[in-house]
Amino acid sequence: MLRYEPGKSIAHRLDPRSKLLVQGGFAAAAFAYTTPRGLVILTLLALCVLALSRTAPHRVLWEFRFVFPFLLAAPVLEGISLDGFVISDATSPALASYRVLLVLLVAGAYIRTTSVRDSRAAIQRSVPGRPGQFLGMGVGFVFRFLPVLRADIGRIRDGYRSRLGTERSVPVRMRILLIASLNRAFERADRFSLALRARCFSWNPTLPTLRFSRIDVPAIGFGLVLFLAAVYGFV
Amino acid sequence: MSNSTTTDVDLVGDEVTLNIARAALFAALMGAFAYVAFPYPLSPAPVTLQVLGVFLAGLFLGPVWGAAAMVLYLVAGAIGAPVFSGGSAGIGVLLGPTGGYLFSYPLAALIAGVIAHRGIGIRSLTEASVTRLIASMTLAVAVIYGVGVPFMWWNLDMTLQTAIVTGAVVFIPAEAAKMAAAIGIIRSDAIRAE
Amino acid sequence: MIVVEDLVHKRGDTIALDGVSLRIDDGEFVILAGANGSGKTTLVRHFNGLLEPDSGSISINGHSVSEDPVTARTAVGMVFQNPRDCFVAATVEADVAFGPENLGLTREEIDRRVTDALEAVEMTSHRNRRIDQLSGGEQARIAIAGALAMEPTHLVLDEPFTGLDWPSRQAVLERLDALSAGGTSIVIVTHDLRELSERADRIVVLSDGRIALSDTLDNATPKLASLGVQPC
Repeated sequence: MLRYEPGKSIAHRLDPRSKLLVQGGFAAAAFAYTTPRGLVILTLLALCVLALSRTAPHRVLWEFRFVFPFLLAAPVLEGISLDGFVISDATSPALASYRVLLVLLVAGAYIRTTSVRDSRAAIQRSVPGRPGQFLGMGVGFVFRFLPVLRADIGRIRDGYRSRLGTERSVPVRMRILLIASLNRAFERADRFSLALRARCFSWNPTLPTLRFSRIDVPAIGFGLVLFLAAVYGFV
Repeated sequence: MSNSTTTDVDLVGDEVTLNIARAALFAALMGAFAYVAFPYPLSPAPVTLQVLGVFLAGLFLGPVWGAAAMVLYLVAGAIGAPVFSGGSAGIGVLLGPTGGYLFSYPLAALIAGVIAHRGIGIRSLTEASVTRLIASMTLAVAVIYGVGVPFMWWNLDMTLQTAIVTGAVVFIPAEAAKMAAAIGIIRSDAIRAE
Repeated sequence: MIVVEDLVHKRGDTIALDGVSLRIDDGEFVILAGANGSGKTTLVRHFNGLLEPDSGSISINGHSVSEDPVTARTAVGMVFQNPRDCFVAATVEADVAFGPENLGLTREEIDRRVTDALEAVEMTSHRNRRIDQLSGGEQARIAIAGALAMEPTHLVLDEPFTGLDWPSRQAVLERLDALSAGGTSIVIVTHDLRELSERADRIVVLSDGRIALSDTLDNATPKLASLGVQPC
């Protein structure tokens, strides 16, 4: 599965905020230049980003396979007509699908090279005040409890499978699963909030350290150029 | 002991702490639902519990914290928590064809909550009539598709007709099944949230 | 020093604590025992202001808990019954650092406290591990480290041995001995007195929300069974 892996690539050493800027700039440029020429250039840039983060493109693509039916459906359904397949009708949806693929590749590089802690710090340092603190801490808690709740759901499903629950209708099974998993999540939230309070959960904690270094300069420059190009392209 | 620092510590209030914990746990639960697919005979796509989760967030956490939970879900997914369909993650998913559905979740949770609780505050759900609950759920689903389908139309540069077929029509039987499940839950009074 | 005066706590129509007065000195090792529902957990949650009294007062080292919850929560380290639900982060280091971060300490001070707390529970080598990959006994020790990082004068543990195997239990006890020897006051909420009798200075037994007994273990032992606590 595609997730953060510690490493020493250039992308690993960048500040998360520079990486977010590059991602945003790349996406904006991809939507501004959805032409054959634009997409060729963006493909080369995406491959450079993947190389700098030592991420294999096929791994990222496999991760996002659930999007493929949508990406394929668009050009195929548009192209089909009573007179057979009309290529000119399918062209622009095909380009649009391809640009999504490129954005997914660059986002995959971010995920593989950025730890939760870094992303959290980037949020807490970029979004001011209590909203930033809420998002940063809250996101950390989501990462913390996701495996716990997945395990809960697994146990609940095992439970009703072993009692012949699979012969019930889909709405009934959904209901059993929802009630049990919501109750467990709320119980855990109650205990968790008590633990947070006991440890002085505050709005103004010491934030994780983040520091721009020299290698962030070209990355920020690259991100800004992409954004400016996108603005120019839209105008 | 660091008595000198204690006056500067701005403690998060007790009730807000509980709401943050619940919002985070609910967001994580939404992510866990992404892995649970029920095969459904009338639908070509597997039915997940996520859309139902959006509605239940508005119902059980109230409009404000329900929407906050959905925002946490989206941000966690954007920075790499495997919480989107099939356990995927990243900004790319938000900017992909199904991004519109995801972006609509906070709004849908807010609207479902406002209707069910008759305002921004939170009331006991036993006061809410079944008609009101069904209305809030229907509207939440309408918001999700109302944002999701045009987004897909724009994102993939399709004709509107194709967008409606790929983005909405194929999912309708599944939505009906989810509504049936949701009504059962609310009527059973089985959730001990309040 | 924890001073509880005439504490009353109601839960709906039932009275969970009915006029409890108690004093726990610095450095004291106290067992808080009693049958299920006697009010043990409710009582300790008042020590650091997690609950609000209906009447009565609590003070920690001279500070009123209701007026200064930050001081109370720093001075009383709390280890809950289900540590699994109480970790805030995925890795050991990030979790132990959570308390000191909330106090707004400098990064150097936080690092020092994390180092000290992990040393105190002999988990230094686990600093960068993921918590969900640790055993139950190791998780119990990390939960203690999380409380110690606040540098409390009192450490309260609610049923710390539930679900621990014998070696893990020994390891936790050994760490508590070391903390006690270093001057930290230890309060253990439990109804399982095995191996605690030679360690504790005093046992306090609650019954129906009142203090039924507060004495040395030797004196208390003959009366325990009638109060719903198994003598050791």
